[in-house]
Amino acid sequence: MANFPPSDGSIDGHELRDARERPASGVEQSDLELVRRVQRGERGAFDLLVLRYQHRVVKLVARLLRDPTEAEDVAQEAFVKAYRAISSFRGDSAFYTWLYRIAVNTARNTMASRQRRPLDYEADLSESEQSVVESRMRHGDTPEAAALSEEIHQTVNRAVEDLPEDLRTAIILREIEGLSYEEIAAAMDCPVGTVRSRIFRAREAIDRNLKPLLD
Amino acid sequence: MRRVLALAVAGVVALALPSAEAAGPTAREWLERMTESLATRDYDGLFTHTVGQQSETMRIVHRMEGGRSVERLVSLDGSGREIVRTPGEVHFYMPDRRVVLVEPRSDEGSLLKALPAPGPRLDSLYTLELRKGHRLLGRDVRVVDVRPRDEYRYGYRLWLDQKTAMPLRSEVVDGSGKTVEAIHFTQLKVGEGIDPRHLQPAVDTTGFQWIRAGRRAEPRVAGPPSASWLPRKMPPGFRLVVSRSQAVPGSPIPMQHLIFSDGFASVSVFIEPAPAKGPAPSESTTVGSANAFSTQMSGHVVTAVGEVPAATVRDIATSLAPVDAELPRTVTAPGPAER
Amino acid sequence: MTDQIREQVSALLDGELASGEISLLVRRMERDAELRRAFGNYVLAGESLRAPGGLTASPAFAARVSAALEADGAAVAAPPVAVKHAPRRWMRPLAGAAVAAGAALAAVLFVPTGDEGAGLLADRTDVPSPITVASLPPGGSSPTPAQNQRLAGYLVAHGQYASAIGRRTAWSNALAADPGITRVAREIVERP
Repeated sequence: MANFPPSDGSIDGHELRDARERPASGVEQSDLELVRRVQRGERGAFDLLVLRYQHRVVKLVARLLRDPTEAEDVAQEAFVKAYRAISSFRGDSAFYTWLYRIAVNTARNTMASRQRRPLDYEADLSESEQSVVESRMRHGDTPEAAALSEEIHQTVNRAVEDLPEDLRTAIILREIEGLSYEEIAAAMDCPVGTVRSRIFRAREAIDRNLKPLLD
Repeated sequence: MRRVLALAVAGVVALALPSAEAAGPTAREWLERMTESLATRDYDGLFTHTVGQQSETMRIVHRMEGGRSVERLVSLDGSGREIVRTPGEVHFYMPDRRVVLVEPRSDEGSLLKALPAPGPRLDSLYTLELRKGHRLLGRDVRVVDVRPRDEYRYGYRLWLDQKTAMPLRSEVVDGSGKTVEAIHFTQLKVGEGIDPRHLQPAVDTTGFQWIRAGRRAEPRVAGPPSASWLPRKMPPGFRLVVSRSQAVPGSPIPMQHLIFSDGFASVSVFIEPAPAKGPAPSESTTVGSANAFSTQMSGHVVTAVGEVPAATVRDIATSLAPVDAELPRTVTAPGPAER
Repeated sequence: MTDQIREQVSALLDGELASGEISLLVRRMERDAELRRAFGNYVLAGESLRAPGGLTASPAFAARVSAALEADGAAVAAPPVAVKHAPRRWMRPLAGAAVAAGAALAAVLFVPTGDEGAGLLADRTDVPSPITVASLPPGGSSPTPAQNQRLAGYLVAHGQYASAIGRRTAWSNALAADPGITRVAREIVERP
C-alpha cells in the first residue's frame, strides 16, 4: 500500500489539475446529476455530496487555517454556502472544483476575520508550511482526531490486505488508480457487472471492519 | 436651483489648475491622474473586495477600443456573476438567477468622472492630503487621503502607483477614518497588450432570461430639472448634475433617473409610478459602502442609492417633491409629506 | 433486497449508476440512515487508501451539516427558475421593497399578466407573495434573492454614472450582492 502515491494532491491546484486530465468521469457526471436534483429541491441529494466530499473539504480547510481544530466548523460553513449558492453551479466545471473554491474562500474569510484585516495576497500555504501542518496533524496536535485517522487507516489497510485477490485488485484499481468500471473490466478481463460486484463486496468487507470503530 | 456646468468641462478646467503647493503634483492632481489612468489605460488585474469581514476575489479587465473603453468585472468566488460594459450596452450576468440585465450604456461617465470640481466648493466638503506610502505589488506608491468635512459623505484612501497613478488599493472610509470597504489588488498588469478575448463573458447564457431596459435613454446634463421632481432641501454640497428618463416596458410612464453629486461622490435617484397596492413603509438597505433608501410619495416610488452614508440617501430621497402646477415652488421648509 | 440496494449505493459512489436509477436511490437514502452510513464508509475507505493518515471528517460531521441546512430552512437554496411550467402572473412588489432598480428591473416588478412585455418575466418561485409590514421582522432581516437582484441591477445602473472608483465599488457590490457573501441590512423605517 505504501507504494501507491495519493491521487489526492497535497498542494493547492494539484487536485484541480488531476481532475482535468481525464475527460469528464462517471463521478463528475453523477455529481452533476446530484446537483441538478438539489437544484430541483431534493435536499437528500446534497447530503450525498456532503458525504462524498466531507473528508477532502475538512482536510483542505485544516491546511488553510493552519489549525485542524476549527476545520470542521469552517468546513460546515463552506457546505452551507455551497448549498445556498447551488443554483449558480452551471456544470461547466467539476462540482468539486466549484466546491473547492468556496471552501478556500470560506477559510480565507475566517482567517481574515480573525486577523481583522483583509488578506493582501493569495494566502495559499507554501510547501514548507504545508508539511509542518501535515506533520502536526499526524503527530497528534489534536490527539483524538489524529488517533482516529490513524486507526481508520490501519483498519482499512488490514481489511484490504485480507481481501481475496480479485476483490482487492478491483478496489485498488478503482480507488487509487481511478479507473472506471469499463477500464477495470478490460484490465481484469471480466464483465462490467462482475467489476461492480467485486468493488461492492470489497467495500462491504471494509465497512464491516469500520463499523465497530466508528459507531 | 442654479445651473450646473457639465462636470466634463469641470474636468478639463481642473487639469489646468494652478498648483497652490510647492514642488510636485498636488493631491488633487494625483486624483486627476488616477481618474485618467482608470479611464484610458489598458489593464487586467485581480483584487479582493472586502466589506466588513467578508472578502471576495474579482477580476477586472479594461481595454480601450477605438477610443471607447470596454470593461469586464468578474466575481471569482463561485457565483459566476460578471458585468461587461461594451460600446453599446452594459450587461450584468447573473448565472445564479439565470438572468442577464441589460442597460444601455450611458455616455461614459464623461459627464461625471468625479474629477474633483475646482475651487472652494470641494475644499469646503473634503480635505485632501498626500503622502508617501510603503511599496505595494513591488511598486512605489503615493497615498491620497480624502477626508470628508461632515457626516454626509464618505472619505477615500487611495494608494496610487507612482508610475501610472493606478489605485493599487482603495478604501472607502467613514468620518472616523474606519474602513467601510476595501479594494486591494493582488495582481495588476497595466498597459501591456490585453487580449480582447479576456473581455468576453465566461457565462453560457443558454436558457437565460434577458431583461432589457427600454429604448435607449439619452442622459441630459441638468438644466432646469426635467419632468416634475425637484429637491427641496439637499444635504450640503450635492447638486443635480444629470437628469434622464427611461421607458419602462409595459408602462406608459417613463422612469426618471436623477444623479446628484458633490463633485466627488454621486447619488442616483430613481422615480417611478408606485404600484396599485397601497402605501408602503420606507426602507433602508446597505450593500458594502453603498446605501439605498426607498420611499413612497405622491403615488411614486422614490429610491436613492449611492456610496454615501445612509442618512444622506435618506435625506436626498425625502427632499424630492413633485412639482405641481398649482403649488408654488419653494426651496425653503418642506411642506407636509404626502403619502 | 438489501444487498442489491447497497450495491447500487456502491455504484453511485463510482458514478456508475444509470441516471434513471439515481433518483429512486437518492430518495431511498434520504429515508434510510443505514444506507447513508454505508455510503459514508465507502467514501472513507477510498479516502483512507488514497491519503493514509490524513485528517478526516468526524463521523458526526455530515449529520451536523444536514442539521444546519435544516435549521436554515426556507432561506436556503430557493429552487431556481427552471420550473416545469411558467405561468405569468402579476408580479407585485414586496411591500416597501419596491426598490426602483432601474428600468430593466422595473420590468420584473411591474409588468402585468398577458402583456407582451411579460415576455420578460418567467415564473419567479423565489419571490414571496406580498408581505405586509406586520409580518416583516423589524430590522436586519435578510433580503430575498429577488430583492438582492433588484438592488444589484440597480447598483449597475447607478455605477455607470459614478466615478471610476465609485463604479468599481458599486459594481463590486452588485457582483457580491448575494446572501452569505455580503451582508445586507434592511430596516423598515416607519414614515413619520
